[in-house]
Amino acid sequence: MWETVAQAVINGLLIGGIYALVSIGVTLIFGVVKIVNFAQGEFVMIGMYISFFLANQFGIDPLVSLIVSMPVLFVVGVLIQHFLIRRVLGPNDMPQIFLTFALSLLLLNLALMLFSANYRTVHTSYSDEAFHIGGLYIPVAKLIAFVVAMLLSGALWVFLHTTDLGKAMRAAAQNRDVATLMGINPNRMFCVALGIALALAGAAGSLLMPFYSAYPFVGQVFVLMAFVAVVMGTLGNVIGALIASLLMGVAESLGIQYVGADSGLIVVFAMLLLTLAFKPTGLGGKAR
Amino acid sequence: MTTQGVNTRGLVFLAIGIAVLIALPLVVTSSFAIDIFIRILLFSFIGTAWNLMGGYAKQLSLGHAAYFGLGAYTSTILQIDFGISPWIGMIAGGVVAMLASLPIGWLCFRLRGPYFTIATIATAQALMLIFLKFRDLAWGAEGTTIPNLGNAPLMMQFESKAAYYYVVLGLLAVGLAITWLIERSWMGYYLVAIGEDEDAAEAIGVNAPRIKRDIYLISSFLTALAGTFYTQYIYFIDPATAFSFNISIEAALVSIVGGIGTLWGPVIGTILLETTSTLLQSWLGGSIGGVQLTVYSLILMAVILWRPTGLMGMMSEAWQRYTSRKPARA
Repeated sequence: MWETVAQAVINGLLIGGIYALVSIGVTLIFGVVKIVNFAQGEFVMIGMYISFFLANQFGIDPLVSLIVSMPVLFVVGVLIQHFLIRRVLGPNDMPQIFLTFALSLLLLNLALMLFSANYRTVHTSYSDEAFHIGGLYIPVAKLIAFVVAMLLSGALWVFLHTTDLGKAMRAAAQNRDVATLMGINPNRMFCVALGIALALAGAAGSLLMPFYSAYPFVGQVFVLMAFVAVVMGTLGNVIGALIASLLMGVAESLGIQYVGADSGLIVVFAMLLLTLAFKPTGLGGKAR
Repeated sequence: MTTQGVNTRGLVFLAIGIAVLIALPLVVTSSFAIDIFIRILLFSFIGTAWNLMGGYAKQLSLGHAAYFGLGAYTSTILQIDFGISPWIGMIAGGVVAMLASLPIGWLCFRLRGPYFTIATIATAQALMLIFLKFRDLAWGAEGTTIPNLGNAPLMMQFESKAAYYYVVLGLLAVGLAITWLIERSWMGYYLVAIGEDEDAAEAIGVNAPRIKRDIYLISSFLTALAGTFYTQYIYFIDPATAFSFNISIEAALVSIVGGIGTLWGPVIGTILLETTSTLLQSWLGGSIGGVQLTVYSLILMAVILWRPTGLMGMMSEAWQRYTSRKPARA
């Protein structure tokens, strides 16, 4: 009995690490730039396709192609902030919501046109490996993904709290006007925030590739999780998003185990609705 | 702008437009063409329903498929399980949608801006999952076909496509009339005030939660009517079509491209987008998935970056220049 529960919790935590990379990106952008990036999931999808093609064409391991997908998406993030999002920042929500939403639609449907709806997988030497501890089963690929995801999240936390650039970003997130008065260039901060967030999404994509299929709609799975996690974890709060992502991974996994194979999403939506009903400001702090 | 009184020239144009729309199926008999007209009218109507809440009050929902689906399922369940005419089912569906909008709105309106949008997406998806999962409720994932009774106007089934055309034309007329009335009422002004700045509107005494709830009721009622019509038109229902995210997207898209918060915006937007999509399909043969939405998203981005007021913004200038072509009144 306890073994099934423990196994479900482990499965949930492992996938929750990936959710964390996506939702930390969403919450970072929201915290610093004050917009919601509806296209975040599509950058996970792009990260997956980058790793897929590198593995397929050159036999590069998806974990190695992380060092390609992350910088590529960092640059994409900077360009998107500089050429698109910068033009719609203002008091009105509508252009921001629908610009990133249009971007999501565009990337998704371009992928559909270019790569078709087929599922692409990469088989690595460790894809079928697993540790057996007691009666528990821990797949190697998922464990690696989880560990790398936690390392990247930790690195981001260190960056935000110890470097000048990171402190400047946190300052810009807390109070943009005062930060600007202190000589912080907001657009530069926004570019860096978008770059980091997209790089994290790209990392999530590469880390997923050894055990998950790439297809044009794959980002939608992760972005919905990320949005719920970001609401639960209090908008703009990186640690909150991380904890909420892990919780959601576990909740989804328990839902699959005890409610039914296709019930993961229902559990997640139920959690969102419960959060909204009883604690709309998230697990801590104050929402907008 | 459109909030001014009706001038004679405007009325003449309206009368000509109505006459053309009524005569259209008598002149154009190609069922392919009528099908396109029906799509245009249907999405104009859905866009009009969305626009009441999304356009005037700027509550940007991407979950209107929830009400489309509830309308479709209510009338279909009533028809198949109880033999009740979809004409009654359509109204019943609207009422169900209104009732559903109360708790959904209560939850979603706790969030503002983009997170409101996300919450609406989540509720529509959750409803779709419920209809997929609970087979006892309504046929599960396979859906069901609507029994074909031949020509049965009382059951909203017609042999000629022209009849469907007139039904949806009537729906659009109702939607536009309601919008026109709201635009001119105190409610219209409250909605615009909320859309401009919700906190400021509340500060001057607008009961924003109540106004948002009321407009959500109206908007979801109208959207549900479209759901019933569509199901009767295609003789089929399943959760993936009835609660399709594409319905939610297109409702918002046609309004934004046409010009949000304007009476004719959703209509103009639908004409542009549906015509584009039809042309694309005839050029490319509809073989490549994703082309239509790629083009839609490019149009949407272009509108947001360069013409945030949509096509109506461009057209109303030209229109005003024409309708007031008297000696300049300063």
